[in-house]
Amino acid sequence: MTGIPYDWLEGLLVLLGASVLLVLVVVISVIKNMGIAREMLLAVLKGGGQLLAIALFLTFLFGFDQWYFLIWLLLGTMVAVSGHTAARRAADMPGAFQVTTPAILAGAAAALVVLAFSRAMPLHPQFIVPLAGMAFGNSMKICSLSLERLMREVRANRTAIETALSLGATSRQALEEYGKISVKASLIPTIDSLKTLGIIFIPGAMAGLLIAGTDPLVAAEYQIIVYLMIVGGGIISSLLASTLSRPKLFTAAEQLQPWV
Amino acid sequence: MVTVTGLSKSLDGRQVLRSIDLDVRRGEIMALVGPSGGGKSTLLRCLNRLLEPDEGTITFQGTDIRDVPPVTLRRSLVLVPQESVMFPGTVYANVAYGPALQGTADHEHVVRCIADAGLPSSLVHRPADKLSGGEKRRVALARALALRPDVLLLDEPTAGVDPKNVETVEQHIVEFSRSRGLTVLWVTHDVSQAKRVSHRTAGLRDGTVGEINATDSFNWEGVY
Repeated sequence: MTGIPYDWLEGLLVLLGASVLLVLVVVISVIKNMGIAREMLLAVLKGGGQLLAIALFLTFLFGFDQWYFLIWLLLGTMVAVSGHTAARRAADMPGAFQVTTPAILAGAAAALVVLAFSRAMPLHPQFIVPLAGMAFGNSMKICSLSLERLMREVRANRTAIETALSLGATSRQALEEYGKISVKASLIPTIDSLKTLGIIFIPGAMAGLLIAGTDPLVAAEYQIIVYLMIVGGGIISSLLASTLSRPKLFTAAEQLQPWV
Repeated sequence: MVTVTGLSKSLDGRQVLRSIDLDVRRGEIMALVGPSGGGKSTLLRCLNRLLEPDEGTITFQGTDIRDVPPVTLRRSLVLVPQESVMFPGTVYANVAYGPALQGTADHEHVVRCIADAGLPSSLVHRPADKLSGGEKRRVALARALALRPDVLLLDEPTAGVDPKNVETVEQHIVEFSRSRGLTVLWVTHDVSQAKRVSHRTAGLRDGTVGEINATDSFNWEGVY
């Protein structure tokens, strides 16, 4: 197997060819006055631009002797951006960034350390960058879902929480049930994807490896490794998001914060 | 037993309580009467420190409640809120909730509290969320009693109770207050209920306490 049978210049021509479908959709949306053409084009240009930028950065990184300096910079950026993005899900929680950032960092870091020690991730930028991207991206997604659900549960069950507090429960005890619900809910999409792996869709890492010409068995093994990382790191992020939210939701006197 | 001095509290920019002074004596049932929105529930929530007053002090057995750990305070001054939320599980599990948190759930005590609240023994193992509104109110009362409190803060304890059972629930509360020497602050908007159950009455209107007097001598004219 040889992977994609052309270089980057030919790739541009192929890209133009593949854009025919997009042009067709844009034309239809203009004719039908659907009002999405502009947003769709902007999204494609933004996403495409970001991918090309990271590709140029990776080309430089892979050939750079002191790559580890840049890797730390890249990982730091991933921490800040993912923490900030997840915090927007709980915009009305003061200091949500202080919850999401350590939660995502801990989940993603735990996953990457395990991958490094198990030799699934050789310490080379070619492996570290994409796997770190997956680890941070998934921890961010799971952390966002967890926090959003937790806020919803707390608001919907405010009376039950205050009833528990009135009966002498600590804030930890009063919140415990809703923390469990939020962690479970945040993992449902990942668990559903696990159940349908290989049946409904071939996931990203495996699809990429197959396109690059890797043996399907090796590609499948690697995908399983990636999913283990996603689930493990995600659970850590979700649990931490729930735990770190408690001091934000309650006062030192074990009262629900007025903004909840 | 419980002394409130100069208590004020604003919620959402509206002053709900204005410089409240109140003294609840050991072993008495004090009715807190007044129109809806007058600040009765807010006052109860300040007393067990679910809310922090803006000004003023509350002492419980001579100690400022801010000097007592909130969890300890709430096990002594137990609030039964107006809405009876049932936790998942049986009536028994609900009533044992508070003691179980402390690791002191005593089967006989839990069963006695269920009976004292006027619930038939046939309901003990029924799922609590399947009960009627009135039965849930009684589970909430039993749940509070199970903590062996010193003070019960009851917010409209007969709201949602079938009218023919209201007096039965009242009698149960009066009886367990008497038999346990329990101090009760009983919020009600029902003047006749206050007359039936309380030793003293305080009128709360527009966030201010007007008259505090023995229920027999209370001037009901100015309450509403």
